[in-house]
Amino acid sequence: MNHSPSKITAIAVLAGAALVASACSSSGSGGGGGGGDAIVIGVPVPTSGDYASAGTDILHGAQLAAKKINSSGGINGKKIQIVAQDDACSAQTAAQAAEKLISQNIVAAAGGYCSTASAPELETFHRQGIPYVMAASTNPELTDQGFPEAFRTIGRDDEQGPFVAKFITGYLKAKRVAVGNDNSTYSKGLADSTVAALQKDGAQVVFNSALTPGQSDYSSYLTKVGQSHPDVFYYTGYFSEMGLLLKQAKQQGLNFTMMGGDANNDPTLIKTAGSAADGVLIDTAPLAQFLSSAKDYVQAYQSAYHTAPGPYSSYEYDAVGVLAEAIKNAGSTEGSKIDAALHAIKTYHGITGDFHFDSKGDRQPVAYIIITVKNGQFVADKQLNPNTGQWESVG
Amino acid sequence: MTAFLQYLVNGLTVGSFLALIALGYTMIYGIIRLINFAHGDVFMVGSFVGYAVVSTVVAQHWPIALIIIVAMLAGMAATGVLGIVIEGVAYQPLLNKPRLAILISALGVSLALEEGARIQFGAGFSSYPGILPTTGFSIGGAHASYAQLGVFVLSLLMMLALYLFVQRTPTGTAMRALAMDRDAARLMGINVERTIMLTFLLGSVLAGAAGVMQGLYYIQINFIMGFAIGLRAFTAAVLGGIGNLPGAMVAGFLIGLIQSFSDGYISSNWSDAVIFGVLIAVLIFKPTGIFGERVVERV
Repeated sequence: MNHSPSKITAIAVLAGAALVASACSSSGSGGGGGGGDAIVIGVPVPTSGDYASAGTDILHGAQLAAKKINSSGGINGKKIQIVAQDDACSAQTAAQAAEKLISQNIVAAAGGYCSTASAPELETFHRQGIPYVMAASTNPELTDQGFPEAFRTIGRDDEQGPFVAKFITGYLKAKRVAVGNDNSTYSKGLADSTVAALQKDGAQVVFNSALTPGQSDYSSYLTKVGQSHPDVFYYTGYFSEMGLLLKQAKQQGLNFTMMGGDANNDPTLIKTAGSAADGVLIDTAPLAQFLSSAKDYVQAYQSAYHTAPGPYSSYEYDAVGVLAEAIKNAGSTEGSKIDAALHAIKTYHGITGDFHFDSKGDRQPVAYIIITVKNGQFVADKQLNPNTGQWESVG
Repeated sequence: MTAFLQYLVNGLTVGSFLALIALGYTMIYGIIRLINFAHGDVFMVGSFVGYAVVSTVVAQHWPIALIIIVAMLAGMAATGVLGIVIEGVAYQPLLNKPRLAILISALGVSLALEEGARIQFGAGFSSYPGILPTTGFSIGGAHASYAQLGVFVLSLLMMLALYLFVQRTPTGTAMRALAMDRDAARLMGINVERTIMLTFLLGSVLAGAAGVMQGLYYIQINFIMGFAIGLRAFTAAVLGGIGNLPGAMVAGFLIGLIQSFSDGYISSNWSDAVIFGVLIAVLIFKPTGIFGERVVERV
């Protein structure tokens, strides 16, 4: 995911403390690893700090996957064992977390949350030839480095722009599009790639400008957007500004279609915008709750952990699942053979949809969907059928 | 032309909040020469008190006007008391110490309030129940909502009340006397401690009212909200000639308009650069502010 640098600095401080704590406690949880009778999969995720809850969700996804695979006989007679390590969403802690996992004789890793932490993890695993299937880290750099060990079950940040452009031009049939961002690296990057894709798809970008986040009043920004007479306004920043934009656009009687990027999938948006949130379109990696293929998973997760599965645990479930299949096909726990087997999988029927890995290790086809707000609730709306190229309702 | 009118409406709304907050900065500076860094956080506390009240009573199905009145009175009462406590605890003992001590103390109060709110309400956003209507009316093609009109009128009324209080009542006269010369005022029999306390009370009450209005109008509030708006309101206070009451009111609206027109005609991206550029220009070319000539009547 994308997190602001200041927050990451703050977390780095926390991470130092977390590291001292985890150094004392981790030997207990991982001590059983490395026996000849189990296939050990390492899960580096933040289990302390601000993103602890997201990391814990992902770990739960891995454990459910292991349970499922083990209950149906394991891999070639061997059980899967999950070993977790806290990376605290920090680059420094992450490198050591990866080392610690390696010392516990893992054959592969599945997990990761913050891209800043996944990068050093990937590099450490790469040096040891250990495959790493990432479940939530979306930064393009991760797979662009060309490491044969890098895979991911989640989309890349730079795939979102073309997807959005396709939706705006192909489904909404918009000719004039306004694009706004908040000048953060993530938001600006998404805006740039969307603008490029829109122009390629033949739409006219009539407005492309940043706002100052944290300002509360964007009425004049919106007036200016309105002056460019767009059919659609796509905002790539975060939910707190988007909620205000929706509310203030309605107040001004502006009636172009409002659409937001994947940082807007947050209930605060609905609370802030009230009835003005109805009908807003947001593109996002699909939550498990929205997918019929993940129904059993959502139920299993609910009964095991008494909470909703969170946004990324289903991708982790598929990451462990696809690793298990590759290890089975390879008939070996050797890193390079698992890499080859992962690439060789034609179609993996995951709970997040059918996919395979391209030459870089990125998931194909990309899993994004469009969600909307109905009666104060986020509901799934449209998805692109990769076979027909048609937009269809998510069911 | 329509866009121009719309920018005007938007700017006056933003300006209403800034003017109310700027008054607190300017009054307190006028009377004890202190830039009260905690003032923006008093505004934030007022907003959270209003949030607590509105979210509690919203289930009672009271008329909207009653909810607004109760929330504003609660927010104003709470920040009034808070202002007096801050003054008594953090500033009063330092009044005759070097300037720097009281300034640092103000920074300390600011941090204490922000972190206190963060611990109490969390680092994320809290959302007011959306009780204000979003409907409005049109003037010359520009849209204004009834909520915007309410914010504007309410803030004007409060400013007028404050102005009359300071100009027409004996207590107000005492405040003005204190602003001119503290020792002379004491010799004239004015209770200096009580008057300073009253100034903090008034300034904080206005900030509290602005805080509740901010929550009702913009819905989402968080513990750090007082910082950015406080900085802009302070800029307005300087622009109006710090210590000058009518100056702060006019300059508050002026900063709101500058923000709005700069968002519209330049880019929202640049609004901080433009506003604080204005601050720098004022400090260089007219350090006493645009209404600086009335500097003798500081309150």
